[in-house]
Amino acid sequence: MLSEVGYILVGLAMAVAVYTPIATFRSMRRSDSRWAESGRNGAYVTAGLLGMAVLLLLAAFLGDQFQIRYVAQHSSRDLPLYLKVSAVWAGQEGSLLLWSCLQALFTALAVGRPSERSRPLIPWATVFLSLITTFFVAVTLFLSNPFVLHDTVPADGQGLNPLLRHPGMVFHPPALYLGYVALAVPFAFALAALAARRVEDWPAVVRRWTLAAWLFLGVGLLLGARWAYDVLGWGGYWGWDPVENAGLMPWFTATALLHGIVMQDEKRGFRVWNIVLAMLSFVLVLFGTFTTRSGMIESVHAFSRSPLGFYFLAFIGLVVTVSVIWMVNAGQVLREQHSSDALLSSSGMFFLTLILFLTLTATVFIGSVLPTLTGTLMGQRFEAGPEWFDRVTGPQFAALVLLIGVCPVLGRAASTLRQLRARGWPALVGAGLALVAAILAGFTRWVPLIGFAVVGLAGGTALAEFGRDVTARSRRQQENPLRAVWNLVGRNRRRYGGYVVHIGVILMALGVIGTRMVGFETELVLSSGEPVDAGGYTLVFEELRQDPTQDHSTTRASVAVYRAGAYVVTLQPQVNHYVSLEQDVAVPALLEGLREDLYLVLAGWGDDGRTATLKVFVNPLASFLWLGGLVFLGGGAVAVWPQARAARLPVPEARRRTIGAAVGLLVGILVLIGAGAAMWGPGHGAVFQSVGHPLRGQTAPGFSLTLLDGSTLKLSDLHGEVAVINFWASWCPPCKDEMPDLQAVWEEYRGQGVTFIGIAFDDEEANVQRLSSELGITYPLGMDVDLRIATTYGVTAVPETFIVDSEGQVAYIHIGPVSAGMLREELDSLLEGQ
Amino acid sequence: MRGKFIIAGFLIVAAVIYLIVSNTGSTAHYFLTIEELQEMGNKAVGRNITVSGAVLGNTIAYDSSLPQVLFTIAQVPGDPQEVERAGGLATILHSAVNDPGAPRLDVVYNDVKPDLLQNEAQAIVRGHLGDDGRFFADEVLLKCPTRYEEDIPDQVEGS
Repeated sequence: MLSEVGYILVGLAMAVAVYTPIATFRSMRRSDSRWAESGRNGAYVTAGLLGMAVLLLLAAFLGDQFQIRYVAQHSSRDLPLYLKVSAVWAGQEGSLLLWSCLQALFTALAVGRPSERSRPLIPWATVFLSLITTFFVAVTLFLSNPFVLHDTVPADGQGLNPLLRHPGMVFHPPALYLGYVALAVPFAFALAALAARRVEDWPAVVRRWTLAAWLFLGVGLLLGARWAYDVLGWGGYWGWDPVENAGLMPWFTATALLHGIVMQDEKRGFRVWNIVLAMLSFVLVLFGTFTTRSGMIESVHAFSRSPLGFYFLAFIGLVVTVSVIWMVNAGQVLREQHSSDALLSSSGMFFLTLILFLTLTATVFIGSVLPTLTGTLMGQRFEAGPEWFDRVTGPQFAALVLLIGVCPVLGRAASTLRQLRARGWPALVGAGLALVAAILAGFTRWVPLIGFAVVGLAGGTALAEFGRDVTARSRRQQENPLRAVWNLVGRNRRRYGGYVVHIGVILMALGVIGTRMVGFETELVLSSGEPVDAGGYTLVFEELRQDPTQDHSTTRASVAVYRAGAYVVTLQPQVNHYVSLEQDVAVPALLEGLREDLYLVLAGWGDDGRTATLKVFVNPLASFLWLGGLVFLGGGAVAVWPQARAARLPVPEARRRTIGAAVGLLVGILVLIGAGAAMWGPGHGAVFQSVGHPLRGQTAPGFSLTLLDGSTLKLSDLHGEVAVINFWASWCPPCKDEMPDLQAVWEEYRGQGVTFIGIAFDDEEANVQRLSSELGITYPLGMDVDLRIATTYGVTAVPETFIVDSEGQVAYIHIGPVSAGMLREELDSLLEGQ
Repeated sequence: MRGKFIIAGFLIVAAVIYLIVSNTGSTAHYFLTIEELQEMGNKAVGRNITVSGAVLGNTIAYDSSLPQVLFTIAQVPGDPQEVERAGGLATILHSAVNDPGAPRLDVVYNDVKPDLLQNEAQAIVRGHLGDDGRFFADEVLLKCPTRYEEDIPDQVEGS
């Protein structure tokens, strides 16, 4: 039933999607506004029908409708609710349906409310956008339908890939899709501009669409990176995989397009550039989809191969052919008045920026297809690994950051060197400060140092320019500086939003330099209680714990982290074993800080639980990447925000805009909160305790213990004696098991300068009394009132045993029950050393 | 003035082409099948190589105390079209593992065992060939193509 309704909805949407361009085309031929109206309604109806289809699929997931094959493949009864929602786009069929729906929705939004400037372009844009929608709906309906039924109905679904069970995965794919889909809008308007032979105004019409697309792609890429960092457990966030690259390339060209639009708005040329960039962005979106579906390109997380690749390739061919034909046709219209700007001007810098974004795009493209390319050209297949990408793109990124630093200093027209000297000093000061700071922080290699200097240069300029504008305004308008900031940004959101984006880029660049050039990684095998130094930290593996949960079992290692001898945190990296899927997923644990992240992955353990193998990563400045990312997106949001209108609007129009703005604000805030929560919300396996265990070799914390007989025992009174301090409880079975061993060793060593002390943890005195006489314990036992002693020793569970040497220093820590053999060995070696 | 723009753009493009070509010579990896690697013989020793193959599940040996993983991979074709003609990646991997005549390669990976290292997974291994004919991997990428797309659990109930 559900499936049939789904088919009908998508089928109807297909019919209407085909009708829409025909009706709109007729309206142009006959200059009849009723056909235009009908076409516009067609766009609305398509969006509505596909929206219902998506909701229907969602209902199928929520209702565990496993007779639908797609649902059975990507869900199961025990999946949490939010993951059932995200499972709608976990596979190819569902994501294409979502894509079609968004495409139809954006078509309706883009052509629904023509403004004065966009009106002449709307009919053609409607034709092109609805043709694109038709393609996606057709693919969904005929080639990749999520409503296909099973021959048999499975009792339960296969569940969602455990790697995808992360909040980031709920937001990451839809954010990318929103970006991809929105890029169809500038493309369609560029074609429409050529078709209508009005190439001057279209960039202004689609500026906010382009910004929105760019913003969504940015959120998607950032969340994807964060997901990789949190989930994949290799200590990094970007692996230059072809699928990741597929999302990056249109984002590069969209960034270039945004810069080109600024230039065209200011009547400084770039007409041809902008049309080419809009086309390229959309073609790259299609290419990305093609790479992930076709299996043509080796990728670790490609979807399984499907015949869709061919259709996408054909569509790409069609889009490119149509674009080129229109451009050639429009040749005369595109010719610009000769631009007279000098290279050493802001136009010149914008030009270089565009070139760099294009070479970056080309680099990433070549790297992604390198095996196929070299195989065809040279007969020998070469593959580009992360090192290749880092080395080829690194200098290009550095050049872009440099442009951020240089561009604002240059004037609109030609600049002289004298002007440069007058306004360029903050850049040099910034570069110098960054260099000094990096050297003081201990960076020595010259490539990162150059990187930091470039970042400092760009940062210096950005801050100086902003500061200059603010002081100028506050002096001119007699405003206090904060108010001046607010008004300045409010009056020219595009310009200052852009500045904020640049500051975000500079912060992210710090993170990239830190993590990719100066990171530290190692593998360690830790024995319980034994401190090991790695990357400036001391790690003590404390215990291993295994817990079964509903669909997987968890093995969690507790690792206490010390820095310069002081306890910092306990990290708990874990491995989830999914029994039914026979798959292990390692969940890293993270200590995040501004200076660096400590990133631990549990890689294995001994059968007795007394050893653990860890991968340890120290990622300097990693937080700047996420911080910069948010600043960056915040800047984008400022720029996308509608400019306050100077002219008064008629009341209904103003009200509509207010509602639109309110909805936009709400969505924007929700997206930012969602992104933030996905990035920082879930704990990353870090458990903060007030105090950790003292490290071996540190002075044992002093205490005074009231014994069962009423007397008081002070650690400081034992000078010269070795103390075995055992934390235990009468309610703890392993504690009872180890006590006879403790008693036996106590009897052997008493009189040789050894004292045993039993400290009852969270216990009743009566129970302690009863158990001690039952087991015949003769060494001093006492109650730890309010867990005071346990807290200073970092004891949160029993049994734990500490041995303090005659100097009063901790010599041995054991978590869990001890045996007589272990105690003898430790005591003998201690007594021998005296 | 236009000339300056063209020269500047040309210089950037030339620099990027230089970066691409020089890095393809130095840091890019030879992308080989096991068969091609073994044909190269001693010439392959010491070069950056990426080789892909099907993991033989019963050869996986893991010592978490070093840590070190040893496993063997079997020949799969490198050309995507050839994979397609033979019936898709899953089929290729399955037959590679069960074909005793297929060329095989022993891999040494001095790192922790990857989560997805299991029978009939496709391994893409980056590293170099040792003098002893074993492959020393710096990086192991794995994918299991069938898991979530095609496998259907056995238990079914009447509809």
